[in-house]
Amino acid sequence: MWWGGRGHSFNIAPQKDNPELGLSAPKSIQGSGMPEPRRNQLGSCLTSGCLSGEQILAWAPGIRKGLEPELPGTLICTNLRVTFQPCGWQRSQDTPLSSEYDFALVNIGQIEAVSGLSRVQLLRPGSLLKFIPEEILIHGRDFRLLRVGFEAGGLKPQAFQVTMAIVKAKAQSSQGQQYAGIILSKAGQSSASRNPPIPLLETSEDWETERKKQGARDWRVSTVNERFDLATSLSRYFWVPKRTLDSEVRRTFGHFHQSRGPRLSWHHPAGSDLLRSGGFCTASDPNKEDIRAVESMLQAGHSDVVLVDTMDELPSLADVQLAHSKLRTLCQPDSSAAEDKWLSVLEGTRWLDYIRSCLRKASDITVLVTSRVRSVVLQEHSDRDFNGLLSSLVQLLSAPEARTLLGFQSLVQREWVAAGHPFLTRFGETTASEEAPVFLLFLDCVWQLLQQFPAEFEFSEFFLLALHDSVRVPDTLTFLRDTPWERGKQSGQSNSYTKVYTPGYCQLPAGDSINPQLSVWNWSLRYSNEQRLQFHNPGYDPESCPDSWLPRQQSSFTVPGPPSSVWLFSRGALTPLNQLCPWRDSSSMLAISSRWFPRPAISSESMADQEWGLPSHWGACPLPAGLLLPRCLGPQIKLWKRCYLRGRPEIQMGLLAPTISGLQDELAHLQELLRKWTPRINNS
Amino acid sequence: MLGKGVGVGGTKAPKPSFVSYVRPEEIHTNNQEVAEKEVALHLLPGEQLLCEASTVLKYVQEDACQHGIYGKLICTDFKIAFLSDDDSTLDNDVCETQFKNKVIGENEITLHCVDQIYGVFDEKKKTLFGQLKKYPEKLIIHCKDLRVFHFGLRYTKEEEVKRIVSGIIHHTQAPKLLKRLFLFSYAATAQDKPVRDPQNHTVMFDTLQDWCWELERTRGNMKYKAVSVNKGYKVCERLPAYFVIPIPLPEEEVPRFQGHGIPIWCWSCHNGCALLKMSALPKEQDDGILQIQKSFLDGIYRIIHRPPYENVKTEDLSSNFLSLQEIQSAYSKFKQLFLIDNSTEFWDTDIKWFSLLESSSWLDIVRRCLKKAIEIAECLEAQNMNILLLEENASDLCCLLSSLVQVMMDPHCRTRVGFQSLVQKEWIMGGHCFLDRCNHLRQSDKEEVPMFLLFLDCVWQLMHQHPPAFEFTETYLTVLSDSLYIPIFSTFFFNSPHQKDINMHHQRQLSLPLTQSKSSPKRGFFREETDHLIKNLLGKRISKLINPSDELQDSFREFYDSWHSKPSDHHGLLLPRIEGPEVKVWAQRYLRWIPEAQILGGGRVATMSKLLEMMAEVQSLQEKIEERNNSQGALQAKAPSLLRNSARLSSLFPFALLQRHSSKPVLPTSGWKTLGDEEDLAKREDEFVDLGDV
Repeated sequence: MWWGGRGHSFNIAPQKDNPELGLSAPKSIQGSGMPEPRRNQLGSCLTSGCLSGEQILAWAPGIRKGLEPELPGTLICTNLRVTFQPCGWQRSQDTPLSSEYDFALVNIGQIEAVSGLSRVQLLRPGSLLKFIPEEILIHGRDFRLLRVGFEAGGLKPQAFQVTMAIVKAKAQSSQGQQYAGIILSKAGQSSASRNPPIPLLETSEDWETERKKQGARDWRVSTVNERFDLATSLSRYFWVPKRTLDSEVRRTFGHFHQSRGPRLSWHHPAGSDLLRSGGFCTASDPNKEDIRAVESMLQAGHSDVVLVDTMDELPSLADVQLAHSKLRTLCQPDSSAAEDKWLSVLEGTRWLDYIRSCLRKASDITVLVTSRVRSVVLQEHSDRDFNGLLSSLVQLLSAPEARTLLGFQSLVQREWVAAGHPFLTRFGETTASEEAPVFLLFLDCVWQLLQQFPAEFEFSEFFLLALHDSVRVPDTLTFLRDTPWERGKQSGQSNSYTKVYTPGYCQLPAGDSINPQLSVWNWSLRYSNEQRLQFHNPGYDPESCPDSWLPRQQSSFTVPGPPSSVWLFSRGALTPLNQLCPWRDSSSMLAISSRWFPRPAISSESMADQEWGLPSHWGACPLPAGLLLPRCLGPQIKLWKRCYLRGRPEIQMGLLAPTISGLQDELAHLQELLRKWTPRINNS
Repeated sequence: MLGKGVGVGGTKAPKPSFVSYVRPEEIHTNNQEVAEKEVALHLLPGEQLLCEASTVLKYVQEDACQHGIYGKLICTDFKIAFLSDDDSTLDNDVCETQFKNKVIGENEITLHCVDQIYGVFDEKKKTLFGQLKKYPEKLIIHCKDLRVFHFGLRYTKEEEVKRIVSGIIHHTQAPKLLKRLFLFSYAATAQDKPVRDPQNHTVMFDTLQDWCWELERTRGNMKYKAVSVNKGYKVCERLPAYFVIPIPLPEEEVPRFQGHGIPIWCWSCHNGCALLKMSALPKEQDDGILQIQKSFLDGIYRIIHRPPYENVKTEDLSSNFLSLQEIQSAYSKFKQLFLIDNSTEFWDTDIKWFSLLESSSWLDIVRRCLKKAIEIAECLEAQNMNILLLEENASDLCCLLSSLVQVMMDPHCRTRVGFQSLVQKEWIMGGHCFLDRCNHLRQSDKEEVPMFLLFLDCVWQLMHQHPPAFEFTETYLTVLSDSLYIPIFSTFFFNSPHQKDINMHHQRQLSLPLTQSKSSPKRGFFREETDHLIKNLLGKRISKLINPSDELQDSFREFYDSWHSKPSDHHGLLLPRIEGPEVKVWAQRYLRWIPEAQILGGGRVATMSKLLEMMAEVQSLQEKIEERNNSQGALQAKAPSLLRNSARLSSLFPFALLQRHSSKPVLPTSGWKTLGDEEDLAKREDEFVDLGDV
């Protein structure tokens, strides 16, 4: 295929002539095993919900168990997904996928076949089923559980076949694979147009609009990466200081890991700037002019600069992965953890501990950004994981608009998708063994905030769950690519430059395989209207966050010269630095990891003059009302039960608290009544 | 000079002893301020000031740096109070004044609420008790409601230190006589007479009528009768004057073993099954007596096994359930998790939070109680069996389980009045030894067991899982747990109704209201505005009885699973979930004084205020509709506007005051130097040296 040589092996086949995506083996099952008469009866019913290129490999009637009520229906395995279709249920035209009944093949974590009380077989790829199953349990990697019991009598071969088909289809699936031919129906589009669309940040206009919204007047949109020739992991456009030339940007970014130089993440209304940047390339040897340029980009016109060592006190990628897999083991229904040992096992996963460190660090940085007008630079070596996590959390904590539905989705789009978080790798579907669900860690952090501040968020827990479950549904490209470059290629976005430089793009059957407009934010693909209504938090109280930011001090881009104070924020404390970049003095020493030279003990009195050293100063400056400071004590960091314990229906107690939504219904009902009454009274 | 102090103090409490405690030099220091301070100290009727010390430094708990506010530490026969020298601390946010506890202020500790007292000598912390040879530079007071106070005494005059420290230790730690309880002096002086609302009052179960009414309510009157055999406590001082026994049981049997071995009725289920309790017969060595006991018990059992009674299942709580020691040791480990001396200590333990929590096994004890209660509910509900709870005195685990079962099975007990009546019936009349279990008199630490708190914690778990099923909120439970240590309510300060009656007897002659107000700690404890919070708006008082279910299951698990698989009826049987992740820490009760736990503008209060707002809207709409329906002059809708004006409450509302929030606490304090403060202290120290010389 045309991009096969790029080092990634995505199994995407948009060509029409090969719709089953290389799945040829299951054909035989389908051909030989199905009892034909029934197939004809059910055929139209089953295939009606199929996507283009989707083929039913096997099916068997069964009963969904575990959840109330038990539903009779049909378990269907196709080359794209496993679906449980309840009797009488029709896929709505508006929502071609179902969040409730669909299991994307890549989402399947573990398959168990059960017969009787004692016979349980764990089905691995290639393993052969040793008995006719009475029940099949499909554990989703998103913590969902599909448990289907097969009807007895006469249909046993079907149960066997569908189980084997699932095992085979699962083995042949891969994350890169995408549902083909999903097009938003007209109805869906019209309903979507009622809400403002989420800016996908693929055009410079989007970036310009967003910049204006943030009021970042001293910044501009740089087009230097428009052709992805500066860095493929960076977005086409990003924000750089107004006074920096594109040629300077190109030069300075070269001195950063993967050319991810310092860019604006968020402009605080009171004047501070939050920047994110990759690590310094210690191998490069910039000249004096370049160093000056790097410094001024980090400084961003402020006299006070704080470099934040992002990874300090945060878990490594491997830690996150280990914690997550331990958590999954614990949350599985057959978890061996005893009731009275549950808490210590939970503690042993360290997942909650990592959430705590993320929240703690984020609120530290929020304080740094809020307390004074300064430039705060998040620096992570790769700039693609925890920088996004921290910068998103900081914005959620400080900006009420980021806590709206629209604001949060654009935040994720900007800090994760456009910023090049390697979703595909992190969800473990590429050859690189760098699986780590950093994004899920982020969602859990957001959930904690939602718990602590139930009136401050426009979206609900249900929305976070929907986002959590979306990461493995191969319907849109949002989470299916590692870099904006790959995403752009696939979505067939073409502009004059790409046409000139990579002629192959012109022949791309754009819009044929996928609608380029589709992103994960097109919720109507998977969620019905009623479900989407639940995305709204009924307890949201937007009035409680008045816009109380007052610009503290005019940001002074005009101030020339080096920054007057440079700090490193690490281990919860500020250390003064004598220089911003590691290269200036003796590059040989700076190459080693401890590149920071704390200023040799300047008298502590002068340190106390800096506001960080003197707590009384801090107390004097009350925090603005819109700021959230989460609490991270042991008892306050909780387990996201509605997400992780979904596979244990005995623990599930309704997806949303019934009380507040019931009250809202009552309110609506009364208002309706009142409306009906009003004209009558007036007339009489 | 002297006159000034006495004059001002005298208006409140004209006690001659007051004079002797005021030394001229105290008034020297700050004439003006002292006068003002006396006004601020609010003494209850009958309260006497015992000793005081000035220039005490109350440390701000939230960080390790040693700063705080200066003021006066006072010990009365009711409380320990700290009065700040700085008046600005008094006029804080609106919330503080609006939601102030009427009896106990922010810086006040009732003597009974003091748990442990520590002194710091040269940076070392030691428990203080008895006579001291050396006086500490810092006093740390751990309270039973889990507050922690640090008082620096370095700048206080030695004499005053001696007096206040030994005064506090003596009045809180030394064994006390029952007669010395503050409630007696309060009762002798208090004037206000609470009005008993006839419609909405708590049933006290101190008359035969009350028991008959309860029998009628639960339809237990077909098989059980209220008896007055113990009137005047002739039979037994442990039992209440009136109680209920099976109809065929002759009243003459009751006195044979002083009420031991008699099945006493607690509650009847809708299907006629009853919950009974029995205190075990005294253990005897003598075979003859054993024989008599055996035949007596056989007779009793024969009566209650015969129709119309259902099968009886006996639950022996003394032998195969929790032991009291287990509960006490778990709680003492558990509470240490919340008694934090400083933030640093807290962060240190925080990493191991879950395993520390688990190793205290308090939550496991809560779980076992809930599980036992479910088992009992299953027998009553599904197996149509009577349950006979058997315990040595039938006054500890019996009280806990029987009341817990009733909260689960009887929706009336989930209303506020119903719950108060239940506490009155099972705990007060049930003879739970509050005096001993709370160790109010400091006579024996061995008797101390937080039984009632354990019960409240279990109820909290139920409420936390099913909030709409309760009329009251967790704030009510928390306030109730606090009133255990406030000796102006007599409810929780006696071992038995008999003890209360004989001790309150002469008070009654003075026609004082205490006997009537005994269960009123809840009512009016906070100012009216807070009542909205205490009274759960969602819970409705429903006297509907549980619908008879004809399912008959034979195992606990099936009962439990099948109940949880059905949508729950908030006015019927209510079962808690008891799996590992479901039993939780009662955060409001245990964490409310820890500044680090405060979520500004967050927590459940945020949802609650939204709820209230919507309720107000619903109410006003409903009224509008009614108005139009009847086309009559309508009542003016009075929306609860309590939470509107206070834009940002904290998660600890209404307990913690909105602290002037600094942005700092999120950061560890490692690198900080509080130079300013230390200099300040040094200066003040100098001043005092000078003063001393003068």
